[in-house]
Amino acid sequence: MEEIDSKLQRILAAVRENPTYLSHWSAFKKIEQLSPAASTDEKQSMRLAVIGSSTLEPLAACISIKSRLENLSPETWIGGFNTFRQEGLDKNSELFRFAPDIVILSVDGWSVLEDSFISNYPRMNEKEREAKLKHMVNEVVSVVKNLEKESKALILVNNFVIPHFSPFGIVDGKQSLGIREFFRTANQFLEDTFLKSDRVQVVDVDTVASSFGKSKMVNWNTYYRGSVSFSEDFTLQLADEYMRYIRALKGLTKKCIVLDLDNTLWGGVIGEDGMDGIKLGTTSPGVEYLDFQRVLLSLYNRGVILAINSKNNFNDAIEVIHDHPYQVLRENHFAAFRINWQTKVQNLIELANEINIGLDSIVFLDDNPHEREQVRQALPDVMVVDLPKNPNLYRQTLENLNVFDVLSLTKEDIERGDMYVGKRMRLELEQSAGSLEDFLRTLDLEVTVREATDFDLPRVVQLIGKTNQFNLTTRRYTEAETRNLRDAEDSAVYCMSVKDKFGDEGIVGVAIVRKNDGQWTIDSFLMSCRVIGRSVETSFLSKIISDARDAKVQAIEGEFIPTKKNAPAQDFYSKNKFGRPVQTGEDQMVTSWMFILDEQDLEVPEWIKLIEE
Amino acid sequence: MTEDTERLISIVSQVLLLDIEEISDSLRRKDYEPWDSMAHLILISEIENQFGIFFEDEEIVEIWTVGDLKKVLASKIA
Repeated sequence: MEEIDSKLQRILAAVRENPTYLSHWSAFKKIEQLSPAASTDEKQSMRLAVIGSSTLEPLAACISIKSRLENLSPETWIGGFNTFRQEGLDKNSELFRFAPDIVILSVDGWSVLEDSFISNYPRMNEKEREAKLKHMVNEVVSVVKNLEKESKALILVNNFVIPHFSPFGIVDGKQSLGIREFFRTANQFLEDTFLKSDRVQVVDVDTVASSFGKSKMVNWNTYYRGSVSFSEDFTLQLADEYMRYIRALKGLTKKCIVLDLDNTLWGGVIGEDGMDGIKLGTTSPGVEYLDFQRVLLSLYNRGVILAINSKNNFNDAIEVIHDHPYQVLRENHFAAFRINWQTKVQNLIELANEINIGLDSIVFLDDNPHEREQVRQALPDVMVVDLPKNPNLYRQTLENLNVFDVLSLTKEDIERGDMYVGKRMRLELEQSAGSLEDFLRTLDLEVTVREATDFDLPRVVQLIGKTNQFNLTTRRYTEAETRNLRDAEDSAVYCMSVKDKFGDEGIVGVAIVRKNDGQWTIDSFLMSCRVIGRSVETSFLSKIISDARDAKVQAIEGEFIPTKKNAPAQDFYSKNKFGRPVQTGEDQMVTSWMFILDEQDLEVPEWIKLIEE
Repeated sequence: MTEDTERLISIVSQVLLLDIEEISDSLRRKDYEPWDSMAHLILISEIENQFGIFFEDEEIVEIWTVGDLKKVLASKIA
């Protein structure tokens, strides 16, 4: 066992050293021979199925090895040449028996169209062209819809590559449905069809191909000899694109960018060059830093957290951030600062603590190779980016990172940056206020509780799926199950949003109540750890109690099921006037609590304004 | 070994999953299971890409051993 593991590590080390197409392929085949045991760790395990219209072993091999390089242990199943319909439509097929959690469907549009398509296209009328288009798209859509229905997998379907060649030549765009419009329309149709699905993602292979160079995306020798659709180097690039989805699915996404200042956010050294001397402005040199900051701000605006780690006198540096006319990122964009003369390593550890994220969620950007090397050695979990020496390439380097992907963007993701900044300011206020209650009174807390609407559901399901710490029962429900619970007569799904003077946290709490005559049971009660310590959970519970009172219920039962992570929630019921604890379940680990409505009431803390909707 | 032969053997070693010492001119496609049609396809295209040459289909099917590979390659880069 240990021997297999060390062999595996040696094989992967060779790929790291020389990450060519051939080394990926070779590693894939060698690991196939080793046949290492499947991982039992849910975080690492993945069952990857690849089906499509061409020879897909090379693509599957590259994705599999790239996953292993990120510490995943994929089990890979590859469908036979052009068998995607049989595999995807027959629920007893080998594909479904493999029970994948990721399915890559890679279909070449040309393989679905008849052989005479390109020859006859110029003489087809518009109706015939539209019929061909519908046929091509439906071949793919029908398979995807069945995969979505019959499996639990994340489905990654490619769009069609818009060809460079058209028999119409330069007037392709003037035809009613020219060749390029044909494929563009098909792509739009694919995206529209799966717009609302969180399990189907349309992978924009056309854009990947454009960025790589469409003229190099096929090796025509292997294309004709072995029906391999993609050239060697394009296969690697395409595999990188699929990895973005895999990282997002497996929670390997980075959340925070920690930035150096001198020669990173601006050119020059503030301590030596002064405000007038540093390079930051609308003309070169200086515009490249401005541009870099603008892209950083775009990431902040969609939910990436920013922080600073710089060796500087605090006042010198903060003056630039505060007052420089061309500085894009201001104080209110940063969740935390470490501007001091400590090591960058120490600062990173402190930043991770303060922001409350793992080191493995951090990307570190610093122009100084010595600092980078120190961080790399001391904190291997931090992703250290090799910024190029030339600042004109900073923006491009940032844009090519592709490590911040999520599978869906909620309102909370978009506003995450603001929340962390609010957290920093709250912390600063807390340190200046006297007692905790004095502090809470100054926050102007507003808690809104309502039964979850369609609009709330994606976030509610996200919280049910990922909340570990303040979670009384840790029951996970899918979107469909949650929707059923909400729609059923004998259950309700509540959600709580929290707002204070520093910002709107959005939906941060969920409760699921099962209603029987005379008694309600709180099936689930959970809250994001972001809002722990403000007693908002008490006001959430008091709203449920008041609804129960209106429904003439006598008692409410609450359960606590301990896990490795949910200690912060263990005193919740006892602190909130629930009594009569009874140990139940296997090993008497589960505690069940009762709240008798005739005997008790639970008040909303005076510093919270409860809004019932 | 010449530089070209070394390069060729390195490709063969990676595609056929053999250490360099294990590769002999007499190693034969039909006697060695990992040398399947997919491996053959990749072997040929890697050699084409790395040496900037092109194999005719008739040449490809006539390559049965490592020795054959060396011979065809030598004739193409001569």
